[in-house]
Amino acid sequence: MDLLQVVVSGLLLGGVYALFAAGLNMIFGVMRLINLAHGELMMIGAYLTFALYAAWNVNPLLATPIAAVLLFGLGLLLQQFLVERVVGQPLLSSLLLTFGLSTLLQGIALNRFTANFRSIPYLSGSVDLFGLNISRSRLVAFAIALLVSGATYAFLRVSRFGKAIRATSQQADVAQVCGINVQQVRLITFGLGAGLASIAGSLVAMIFSIYPEMGTMFIGKAFAIIVLGGLGSFVGAFAGALGLGVAETLAAYWIDTQIAQGVSYAVLVTVLVLRPSGLFGIRE
Amino acid sequence: MSGSNAGDVFRLSSTPAPMPQGGVIETPLPERESDAPFGTPQQASKPLPAWEHRLGWAYTVVLAVVTIGLIILPSRANDYSVSLTLTVLLTICMASSWNLISGFTGYVSFGHAGFFGIGAYTGALLIYYDVVHWALAMLLAGLMTTAIALVIGYPTLRLRGPYFAITMLGLTELARIIVTSWESLTFGGRGVYLPILYERSEWLTNYYAMLILTVTVVLLSYAVGTSRFGLRLFSIRDDEGAAQAMGIDTTRHKLAAFALSSFFPGVAGAIYARHTGYIDPLAFFAVIWSIRAIATSILGGQGTILGPIIGAVVLTLVSEQVWALDPNAYQMIFGGLIVLVVLFMPGGLIALLQRLAWLPRSRRL
Repeated sequence: MDLLQVVVSGLLLGGVYALFAAGLNMIFGVMRLINLAHGELMMIGAYLTFALYAAWNVNPLLATPIAAVLLFGLGLLLQQFLVERVVGQPLLSSLLLTFGLSTLLQGIALNRFTANFRSIPYLSGSVDLFGLNISRSRLVAFAIALLVSGATYAFLRVSRFGKAIRATSQQADVAQVCGINVQQVRLITFGLGAGLASIAGSLVAMIFSIYPEMGTMFIGKAFAIIVLGGLGSFVGAFAGALGLGVAETLAAYWIDTQIAQGVSYAVLVTVLVLRPSGLFGIRE
Repeated sequence: MSGSNAGDVFRLSSTPAPMPQGGVIETPLPERESDAPFGTPQQASKPLPAWEHRLGWAYTVVLAVVTIGLIILPSRANDYSVSLTLTVLLTICMASSWNLISGFTGYVSFGHAGFFGIGAYTGALLIYYDVVHWALAMLLAGLMTTAIALVIGYPTLRLRGPYFAITMLGLTELARIIVTSWESLTFGGRGVYLPILYERSEWLTNYYAMLILTVTVVLLSYAVGTSRFGLRLFSIRDDEGAAQAMGIDTTRHKLAAFALSSFFPGVAGAIYARHTGYIDPLAFFAVIWSIRAIATSILGGQGTILGPIIGAVVLTLVSEQVWALDPNAYQMIFGGLIVLVVLFMPGGLIALLQRLAWLPRSRRL
């Protein structure tokens, strides 16, 4: 029973990872650039939720969409004025630009919120579910993550704009020839990615403590998930995220938490070396 | 960085040359290969300008003067200046060695932090357990990182672009976690304390070790940058498929450049560990070591020989000033600076000086 509880706990965590990785995956798909500042977008979302809660006692579940909308706006600004300028440039430009951005945002958070760990005491305790002892915050976080992921997936599948995003990821030049405003797609995609990261950040703030450098830890996990699930594969990445969540909690349970941190990197390196296109992914 | 000169017509590249801001086609950013012996037809018909022949002499003289200056510096300057110079030399080592793989071949390595950390730990533990003389420990640290680079380079250098960058990022984190977890050997997160070097003559040995290392990496950069081997590396950067089609064994070339490149951060890490006297995994495996190397190269001019040196001097001195002004703002300013350089000075200071015609366009720079 103990083991099953660990597995379920990992699965629930994996849902939050999936949400975070989905935005990074979409941005990579559409622009072919790695957004190293994605973790910091998440961190800002987490701090916004915390600040709303701490200053005006806003319910975190209400603060989550507010933060997401704000981050969507920030994403649009970042894309419009900074990231758009390095699209199609050598890889190094975008890597360095987004890294500079991540350093900048971390620095701002350090100045504004200090390096202290913060947490939102909300939904603490646990519930009894089919004889398993499940943390309430994780359960709620998973439900929200599942809902938002599902909505994003439906948006990409069904809506016209979602189709435009998918067409652009498949072949940007052809999409443009077909009359899709590729620049607008890039803009909205970055905004959406930032919004998804923000929601993931808000959920993390309810489960764990938050601190300015938290993004660094999550971006490594997101890389592992995307590589595991295959670039551009939404469903694959979701499965990868759940798998990683379980693998991490199992490693923490069997060995120790230090090693658990390394699981994502070990997965990342192994998959890239053995099967560079990922488990479900398209070949580049 | 692909410019938009006549030579581009002969390049089979899927990515179009980026249009300069405002749609005006300006003079291209540095195109070192255009001054190569078999450059574009128009340029090949021109005789080499006279300064090209004199440049080698100028280099020798400047390098000799600067080196002698740095050798006698400790007898004239205070401890702070010597220590600051050591930091500049360290930055040059990191940036120039990063440039050997990433500036020349275009494969962005985020692994230099890893090599730096592994070198630091190898050197520090050899000194701590008193296995060998410290100078030999530094050399062994470099050989250790080179060996590791050969092992990990073989599978990872086959990966293209973004995948290589992410893998190196992941391997660095993995190395940090292994070092942190292997407490029986490395003392884990508590770190390793090395004997403090009280005597000035003692800690100056670190300064001279770093100086030797720096001169070596600069000479090596020059040798590689002006050789046929270097040309082949540039061809990998510009179009790997075409390079392969021309019969270049790209994997072997990348591996060779990677191995050369990895030696220096290893030794530099060991020297710096001995200099600071205390190492721990978080500080010595921090991604910022890779980023500093990258930012330095970009600021000076990636893929050039002088770029990393100029970048290191400028960046270290600016960092020092900012740090003195307001340590809290340091991270923000550093991040903002990187963003500005990428957006407005992608070719770095060297390209800027070349555009102002203060520097000639030459592969020897």
